[in-house]
Parts: sequence; structure tokens; C-alpha cells
Amino acid sequence: MIGLDVGSTAAKKVSIEDGEIKYQITGTHNWKDLITGIEGNDIISTGYFRNSAPHRASVTEITAAIYGVRHYFPDADVIVDIGGQDTKVIDVKRNNFIINDKCSAGTGAFLEFVANYFKIELKELGSFHSRAKRLPAINNTCAVFALSEMISQLVTGFTPEEVIAGMHYAFARRISFMIPDAQTLVLIGGTVKNKGMLSALEDILQTEILVPDEPQIVNALGALIYYR
Amino acid sequence: MPVQKKIGLTALVPPELIFACRCSPFDVNNVIPGSKKYPRNKLCAWTAIWQEMLSKRELKLDSLIVVAGGDCHNALVDGQKVEMSGVPTHFFFYPFDGDHEYLESQLYKLVDFLGTMGSPEKPGEIKELKEIGKKIDKKRAQGKLSSGDVFRIMISFSDLMGDLDVFRKAISSLKEQKVEMNNRVALIGVPPIYHDFHDVAQSLHLQIVFDELPFEFLRHSGTDIHNIARDYCDYTFARPLDFRIRFLQKELEKRHVNGVIHYTQFACHHMLEDEIMRSKLDYPMLTIQGDLPGKTPEQIKLRLEAFREALDRT
Repeated sequence: MIGLDVGSTAAKKVSIEDGEIKYQITGTHNWKDLITGIEGNDIISTGYFRNSAPHRASVTEITAAIYGVRHYFPDADVIVDIGGQDTKVIDVKRNNFIINDKCSAGTGAFLEFVANYFKIELKELGSFHSRAKRLPAINNTCAVFALSEMISQLVTGFTPEEVIAGMHYAFARRISFMIPDAQTLVLIGGTVKNKGMLSALEDILQTEILVPDEPQIVNALGALIYYR
Repeated sequence: MPVQKKIGLTALVPPELIFACRCSPFDVNNVIPGSKKYPRNKLCAWTAIWQEMLSKRELKLDSLIVVAGGDCHNALVDGQKVEMSGVPTHFFFYPFDGDHEYLESQLYKLVDFLGTMGSPEKPGEIKELKEIGKKIDKKRAQGKLSSGDVFRIMISFSDLMGDLDVFRKAISSLKEQKVEMNNRVALIGVPPIYHDFHDVAQSLHLQIVFDELPFEFLRHSGTDIHNIARDYCDYTFARPLDFRIRFLQKELEKRHVNGVIHYTQFACHHMLEDEIMRSKLDYPMLTIQGDLPGKTPEQIKLRLEAFREALDRT
């Protein structure tokens, strides 16, 4: 039995073998490669494409995130899942959730935008951030206008490292508006691997943020646990 | 019989007086969920579409009554645009503090705008229909009628389809059925702009047993101006939030709801109320922001499905 999460930008497969979590990650368009030789009856699916993939059962990403996060942090009371196209904030204790998908400023797509502008890999954003000496204020809440503001900051003499750090703060501020008070706040999703964004959010919220070892596979794992 | 004047309404205006003045009311919001228009200058699509259709005479009415106090400022501005395009327009204000004498004076101004009350028996007939409406609403909560069928009748209480006989026939065509009640949900805020929302919710095992605004349409009545003013002054959308919340708490408890869907429009002032609703109404709550009309989008369906799963966990 596997958990399969086919999201907007990446697909993930998780199985538990002898108590050990095994996983594979690929681009969304290659999701079929993940299930070669696996019967639909052995798949529990989640993610945007959960109903397109063959499955024994399917579950929404929100429920999958709750089950997956509990595996790592049983006391989690708020989960923030930063995906490629949306951000979901799940208030586990109050059994509520909100999703931001009207605007790209609080989603992984925003940071992809920034990385593309500087012609660097998404995963390099964190190390650029760590080298920043100053922090420019980027106030725009719209991703496109924030990008023009970013260019203005470069013109005034800020370095790419500093502007990237400023963009992480703008991103984190946007998300922070959605997050309720929490004792145990857990972040998941591929974007969370970006240490610059994570430290900006910790600084804004003034709270410790927990991140599972592999934050991108949590929903696939959660789908599997949900069914078991 | 002279041809009845067709009077547009932008929100709840006592239809009792419009019929009593021998006019035919038409809720301009009726045309929105099925519309394929992309209005040029919009905040909320509900008001922007009727504004554009009326200003361009794609929707032909003899005059328009704009609910100015007790509805949103988008309606107030869009109503003025319609007036500037040459449509005779009257602005109707509910009192924020529930002052029934003030509302009575507003109702007299409304009658002056419409003409004279040539059919004073009509409010009584409408009161009877609204009593039937309350029974229909109750039957839905008991799982005897489908959520979508009842919503379509309830929402029509704003203008009673412009003709009491036509409306009576629509009511009598309702067919009782046994609806499995998995998750009893209240829908608060403005009505969804998607024409299939209630049916989609039901297909995802969420049964809507309370429609906040449509319930207001059938909750108020009266047989003369004096009584109408005393009843309609409690129209919750025009009153302070704590008044509305107290009313909601009572209704939700009565209907044994398991969860609440708070629907607002993109760029809608009701969105500012969301955190208050979440803190005051002690139920799992899903907030949905719609934009343009049409079928319920897939992303909204995802939220509904996730909400159902959340209710299953409680």
C-alpha cells in the first residue's frame, strides 16, 4: 500500500516498509512513473490530482496533512502547508482551515518568481538570504508589484542577497496574517525547505516553528496513515 | 387591467408594498448566477453585473429601488450609476438601530415613489405565503425536502417571482423526498454566486439546513405599513453585528447544525466580519470567497470536501 500525493508542482509517493518511511518525489507531470507496477487498489491518493490517479481511497490534502503531521508531532495544533499554488492553514484544535489561493503572494509560486528573476535555483534562495547584511522593506502585498519594488531596491543599492531576504520577509508577513496563535506550529510543503523564509516567519511570529525531516512528503504519508 | 410596472430591487425591500401599489417586483440579483458577463468595473460581481445590465438596458425595468442603508456601499454606488444612466431610482434605508418609526417614514416615501396602495389586501396574502415558506424551511431541516429545491423557493421570497399565482404554483411543485442528513450545515453571509452550490454541497454530503439571507426574505411580513415597519426593522443584515450574531446563535442551535459555511464575495465588506463570526459562533466554520458567477469551481469543491472530512472527524 502506498500514499500518493499529486500536487500542483510535485508528486510524492510514500510507503512504510518494516516501520521505515520510504519515499520518492518527482515533478507533477511524471506522477505516473511513481506508480508503475502498482495496482490502483494499493494506492491512497491525495493532492490536486487525487481523483485523476487510480486509487482505493482518496482524501483531501487538508485531512492528509493532519494525519501526516501527527506522525511527527502528535501535539501539533496549527499546520501551515505552503504549496506551489496555495497556502493552507489548518487549525487542528478548532477543526478549521483557511486556504489562500486568490493571490500568489503567499504561495511557492511567489518565491519561484524571485528565483527566476535572479536566475538562481529555488533551493539557493536560503543561502542567499543568510548572506544578507541589511533588510530592505518590501511592503507590497501583490506578487507582481512586490517584484517591481524588489527591482527598485536593487536600483537603490541593496544587494541581491539583501533583496532576497526582504522578499522572504514580505512572503512570511503575508502568511503570518493567516496563522492563529499556536503552542505547536508545524510547517510542511516543499517551500519550507527554504531556510531564509523559515527564519523570516519565525522572526515575525516570534515563535518556534517545527518542520518534519522531509516536509514535502507529509501529505502522502498522511493519506496512507489515514487509510490504515 | 393596466400593465403593471416592473420594479427592480437590489436587496430586501418589503415586496408587500410593491404588490400593494399594483407593481411587479423583480429582484435584480435573479439574473446574476446564470450570467456570463464580465463587468468592466467591479468590486463585487453581484452589484457590478446588475449595474451594467441596467445601465445598458440589457435588463429593462421601469424603475429601481436600491437598498442603501442595510446593504453594502457597492450597491449604493452602483445604484447611483444606474440612476445617472436615466433609470428612475429610489434609495431605501433601513435603520441601523432598529427604529421602527424611522422605517415607517421610509416605507411611506417608498409608497410615494411607487404611486398609491391600490391593492391593500396583498400584504395579507403575502403573509400567508411566508407562513408556508417557514413550514417549507422547517421540512428541509427535518430532511423531507432537498436543500437546493428549498433554497430556490426561499431566495424567491424577495420578489415572489413578480406574480403571487406563479409563486404559489412554484411552491406547490415542491416534491417531498427523504434526504439523508449526514452533516447539517448553516450557510451564512451572502448567497453564493454559483447557481449549483446547494446541489454540489448536498452531493458532497453537506446538507444546508439554514440559509441566512433567504430566511430573512421570508421571516418578515405585516398587513399594513405600521406592522411592516415593526417587523422589518429587525432585518438582521441592517442591524449591528451583535444583534445579527444573537439571532444566528438561536437559529443554529434550533436547527442542530454541525458546521457553518460563511460565504462572502471577493472585495466584500462581509469578509471583515469573518473573524468575528469565527469567534462568536462555536461551530467548525468554512469561509468561502466567490467572485464571478457560474458553476461552483473545483477549488471551492475541494474546500467543501475537506470541510466534510473535518465534520466527519468531530
